[in-house]
Amino acid sequence: MNDLAETTSAPIVSARGLRKQFGGREILHGLDFDIPAGRIYGLVGHNGAGKTTTLNAILGLTSYEGTVRVLGEDPYAKRAQLMENVAFISDVASLPRFLRVRELFALLTNIHPNFDQQKARGFLEGTDVRMDARIKNLSKGMIAQLHLAVVMAINARLLVLDEPTLGLDITYRKRFYRRLLEDYMTEERTLLITTHQVDEIEFMLSDIMFIRDGELVLHMQMETVSGKYAQVLVRPADVEAARAHKPIYEETRFGQTAMVFDGVDRDTLAAFGEVSTPTLSDLFVALMQREPK
Amino acid sequence: MSQFNDTQPIFLQISERIAEMILSKTAKEGEALPSVRQISADLQVNPLTVTRAYQSLVDLGVVESRRGMGMYVQPGARARLLAHERQRFLTEEWPRIAKRLAALELDPAELLANANKVTDQGSTDE
Repeated sequence: MNDLAETTSAPIVSARGLRKQFGGREILHGLDFDIPAGRIYGLVGHNGAGKTTTLNAILGLTSYEGTVRVLGEDPYAKRAQLMENVAFISDVASLPRFLRVRELFALLTNIHPNFDQQKARGFLEGTDVRMDARIKNLSKGMIAQLHLAVVMAINARLLVLDEPTLGLDITYRKRFYRRLLEDYMTEERTLLITTHQVDEIEFMLSDIMFIRDGELVLHMQMETVSGKYAQVLVRPADVEAARAHKPIYEETRFGQTAMVFDGVDRDTLAAFGEVSTPTLSDLFVALMQREPK
Repeated sequence: MSQFNDTQPIFLQISERIAEMILSKTAKEGEALPSVRQISADLQVNPLTVTRAYQSLVDLGVVESRRGMGMYVQPGARARLLAHERQRFLTEEWPRIAKRLAALELDPAELLANANKVTDQGSTDE
């Protein structure tokens, strides 16, 4: 029953009081979180909320205040060492465009101790990416496949994906995530993803973090979301009565009022209309529009 | 893009699909079931969710996890599953249906007579 064993080891990523200032303006206001092994984390927030800065701190790409530990090490001080076990794809990181795929693999074999060229070639089988192709001549979708093949062949324990499917069509996006689930994910490995297309990966995630204006406004396991939040399509006659239970969000469409509640008993809510669990994008809208305290 | 309904936890919906495979004999007793990884990739759901779905069937004695080999349908699984599903129907669904029939003033005997006609015409499997 190996598959079912709970991982109780130290967290893969741990942050305490993570702060970051740019030019005197604080953009991360002290984040605290632990990311255990074997989980798929979604980090969601508006542009400018601090997602990429948080990822950069984890990857050792930026200095910060507070404490961050990745695989037990300080990522800013031990960046080179950590990169043996941490890989990332970001919408701005790029592969050297003038190289051919074959040359890229040769280069990686030389500079990265954990890069497995055979594995990378295997991942490209069944794609249209040829070993002789120049990277600059590949389509955006093919570059994403190549990038994924490279990072999966590094055998990293932590894989960080910052908007990995930006600009890809739906077929490529699905293929991308399928690859990850089929060939990368195991209980020792951890995935941290940011995306705006949150509905597409909702069921892939084990945990979700919402970041708003440099603060974590939500951090919970996906399976506990339904115990805390409920969405109700409230019948017109019951709108006032439902409001008495203090919905955290309310929206009227086509004369139908949808309300999101936090911590209100579902049996109570059932009196006002149909109760369901909000999707991540519904929850995102609800939590992001709340006035900051 | 939802292949799931939003009224039930995903793991339950997956375990019901696996149970469906066993009831319909798509997966026969003693045979291997799709791996956690395969279902996870096919449905694009978290592997822990699939593991949880399988665990609920292991707890029912319907599925067996063989170390390093994967998931197998237990001998006698179909009978156990049928008994379980029948029990669930009688305790959970039937009272709701009975209430609804009463509310609509429908005569169960008449409905059954019609239902038998339908299944007689369309029956293929026991």
